[in-house]
Amino acid sequence: MSLPKAVYEELEKVVGSRNISDKEYVLAGNRAQTPEIPVRHRSADAIVLPGSTEEVAEIVRICRRHGVRYVGTVSGGIPTAYATEENTILIHFKRMNRILEINEKDRYAVVEPGVRHVQLYPEVRKRGLSYTAAAVGPGGSVLVNIACTGGDHHNQYGSSRPTRYLLGVEMVTPEGEILRTGSLEAGAGWFCPESAGPSLRGIVKGYSGNAGHIGIVTKCAIALDRCKGPAATRTEGVSPHSRIYMDDECSRVYVFNYSSIQDVGRAMLALGESEVGATVQKYFYLPLSLMMTSSANEFWEKWDGFRKAFPMPLVVHLAPHSVREREYEEKILFDVVRETGGVRLPRELERWWEEHMDYFMIVSRLQSVLRLGGSWLPIKTGGESVRHLCDIGDSIREFIHDFTDTGKIFDAPQNYQIIPMEYGHFASFELLFMWDRTDPNSFRYMQEFCAASRETDLKHHAHSMTAGGYGRAGEALGRLYCDCHLWAGRIRHSFDPDFDPDA
Amino acid sequence: MSDLNRFRYTMESCNHCGQCKWILPHRMSGWDFAEVCPIHSHFGFDAYSGQGLINIAREVMEGRLERTDELAAMVQTCAGCGACDVNCKSVRDMEVLETIFELRRDLAETGHLPDACRRMAENVSAGRDPFGVPQAERFSWLPEDFREDPEADVALFAGCSAARDPAPVLAAMKILKAGGVPFRLMTEDERCCGAALWRSGQQSAAEKLVRHNADAFHRAGIRTVVTVCGECFGAFRSIYPRFGETEFRSVHISQIAADLILQGRLSFRRDLPPLTVTWHDPCMLGRLSEEYVPWEGEIRSYGLHVPEKHWNRGEFGVYREPRDVLAAIPGVETREMTRRMEEAWCCGYWSGLADPECAAATAGERVREARAAGAEVVVTSCPFCKTALSGGTDPLPVVDLAVLIAGRLA
Ligand SMILES: Cc1cc2nc3c(=O)[nH]c(=O)nc-3n(C[C@H](O)[C@H](O)[C@H](O)COP(=O)(O)OP(=O)(O)OC[C@H]3O[C@@H](n4cnc5c(N)ncnc54)[C@H](O)[C@@H]3O)c2cc1C
Ligand code: SF4
Ligand code: SF4
Repeated sequence: MSLPKAVYEELEKVVGSRNISDKEYVLAGNRAQTPEIPVRHRSADAIVLPGSTEEVAEIVRICRRHGVRYVGTVSGGIPTAYATEENTILIHFKRMNRILEINEKDRYAVVEPGVRHVQLYPEVRKRGLSYTAAAVGPGGSVLVNIACTGGDHHNQYGSSRPTRYLLGVEMVTPEGEILRTGSLEAGAGWFCPESAGPSLRGIVKGYSGNAGHIGIVTKCAIALDRCKGPAATRTEGVSPHSRIYMDDECSRVYVFNYSSIQDVGRAMLALGESEVGATVQKYFYLPLSLMMTSSANEFWEKWDGFRKAFPMPLVVHLAPHSVREREYEEKILFDVVRETGGVRLPRELERWWEEHMDYFMIVSRLQSVLRLGGSWLPIKTGGESVRHLCDIGDSIREFIHDFTDTGKIFDAPQNYQIIPMEYGHFASFELLFMWDRTDPNSFRYMQEFCAASRETDLKHHAHSMTAGGYGRAGEALGRLYCDCHLWAGRIRHSFDPDFDPDA
Repeated sequence: MSDLNRFRYTMESCNHCGQCKWILPHRMSGWDFAEVCPIHSHFGFDAYSGQGLINIAREVMEGRLERTDELAAMVQTCAGCGACDVNCKSVRDMEVLETIFELRRDLAETGHLPDACRRMAENVSAGRDPFGVPQAERFSWLPEDFREDPEADVALFAGCSAARDPAPVLAAMKILKAGGVPFRLMTEDERCCGAALWRSGQQSAAEKLVRHNADAFHRAGIRTVVTVCGECFGAFRSIYPRFGETEFRSVHISQIAADLILQGRLSFRRDLPPLTVTWHDPCMLGRLSEEYVPWEGEIRSYGLHVPEKHWNRGEFGVYREPRDVLAAIPGVETREMTRRMEEAWCCGYWSGLADPECAAATAGERVREARAAGAEVVVTSCPFCKTALSGGTDPLPVVDLAVLIAGRLA
């Protein structure tokens, strides 16, 4: 179905004829079935490329007047970035891609939705700053990742979760009103997410983002950290075998293997108490193996060896300011590892990390989890205490073997990560699994696996674990399961009287 | 005949990550110069990108998108530069560019082809090169006193562009002579390398040229073909093996020059004014010049290719030698652009067959990048890049590498 001509023309007046299209081949670029879901994305009726907040507001008002739905999209890397119903347009932020400000003194950057990590990251590094990086790859939107979707990042150990990095927000409400939050609303700048009264930041971002539910975010400020590394990372080589150079004296990676997740947890807590390390994480062994190989075939050749060599790797990156500080940190690290029963892995593996040890680069390579066909899902993406998450890690064996031993999912039962943050006060969890999309039953297996995981979470009172789906699936689990969709519906209703929260 | 189905695995594996549109992190330098796909940058819609085009290919294959002339024109805006392919393959096992070329072939074979592309094949059938120069005039630029070495098993392949601008080939001849490399010219038998036809989807027309040239090399006992044009070089490496034509080895003039310099067989003048240049990697000399290795087999669960497949990921293009040569010329200082080597931004020339405005914007963007790198002159080794980059409203001087080398020989 296409948009009524009159609506198309109204939109065209706002963005200009170059920046709107309803041609079938243009729409085809944003409706492909992606490998993680067995159904095709519905086609949008048109795609618009606005150039400013005002244009977005105008588009939203036109849509509202004519009862047309809209979905915001940048890279479209996750399935919610597509049309789901008829009579929908995509608002694509390719043209809204300015970095509006990098404030070195107050340490924040203001971006539009189209700015990608690969653009912002080097700009802030030039200024001795950094921010936590998502594994979404170079083309992921910074704003969407920090304000709209996405959960935890891989280098939060010395900092905190991305939710805390969201500062002032400018958004267009479903009524087409431009709303500003925090200090921004008071005309005081971007630096503060809150003003008096309840925090809108929680509503905009919440735990993992509202995926555009409340409105279209057109600008946001994100907090920046001081960066311990150089202003630009020195690299050598040609993709896919490029490597980086860090100052060996002040950047070291150590990888230890453990036989029990509880011991890993003890190590994390002990390191956190001493505030040692720039990054500490129990890493997934499957992505690590994929990142260390260059093709699916090479992966298959080496996987058996890898899974035996490091079933439960604890990765510690030290980034001290001086050799003395490094020696001090190493001493504590080795003591902790000795006390908790870790075994250092061969230097060769540590070297691999060091040669890629810019966190942004590492997480960009993490896209290689999609090399095995692209069917994957992160579940149990929750955050709790380190100790509780270790129990969650332990509980995986209660259900996973039914699936791995029968080939219903990829056989990698330890493929989860735990990232402590705020030096161990809190941690995030992610169980990443894959399935064989060429198996006609694979989608059913995937759903069964999610359900089994959910049941186990309920049994162990893992209150914040998401399980690959909100809405009715979650609701059926009762109040212990996250009911954020109900809250989000009610909040949306208050912004958008036309929206029926009970529908 | 085209068979889009061969690329089903690629089409079904795309998860819309967007990596095919943005520079890889090891080359990132900031907000600017972060895009790698010229058509995505120009048009803005995702359809105009590696990801979009493979989605389109899938819909065409599944009969959900109609084959039309308008679609064919849109598909031909793609410069065929392969940046998307290299980026995707940095973390995945997918054949993005091959899928785009197969889509073009499918459209061409079903009668959907922009006029400019069609004209190239018509010219060839009428005994001209794709750009309209009659075969009889192909070597009209050759100096009368030229004497080849009839015993040589090395042929210098002039390429179609010599008829428009012979300077690079004349310069290459001077370099070979100075280095004492015996060579011949295939004045009777040389035809277009076929790249332009092959890349526009006209595979069978290209095949005739491929067979003709390969046969000519064979009959003349040629073992090594030296090219000056990056496009011809890439054709010999990545197109000829598809037709089983692998009897000869192709070498680019930059590789020969680098070798001769290393052996001390080329020396340069030191009295010429200094020059700050930047090297523009032509796609077909760089990331698309890896030797094509055919693969037929089965893709099993979780991406296992049986038998094992050889992947061209853009890692082994001719990147080092042109830079080594430039570094060896006294007074020449090279400044690198952000998008270089496997991440080089294309000149956009081939987009011009379908959309001259897009081509001009692409070339303009490259000139802007060269200027930002601090270059006074762009050096390259592809006549199409030279043409594209020399156009526009505010161009920089563009010099062919062979011409630069020859002009500074002692
Ligand atoms: C392999 C892989 C690994 C990942 N790992 C991580 C990780 O480690 N940590 C993490 O945090 N995330 C991770 N993600 C998820 C990632 O954070 C998000 O996919 C990404 O940030 C979204 O950016 P995008 O450009 O892809 O947005 P899109 O996919 O285009 O959009 C995402 C959602 O936001 C909505 N949206 C888009 N623009 C706006 C806007 N302006 N206003 C309101 N809503 C909008 C869309 O409608 C959609 O619902 C991963 C994703 C992949 C594919
Ligand atoms: S073609 Fe490759 S790089 Fe591009 S979106 Fe698809 S999977 Fe990602
Ligand atoms: S080949 Fe070049 S122009 Fe074509 S889609 Fe890929 S990156 Fe874009």
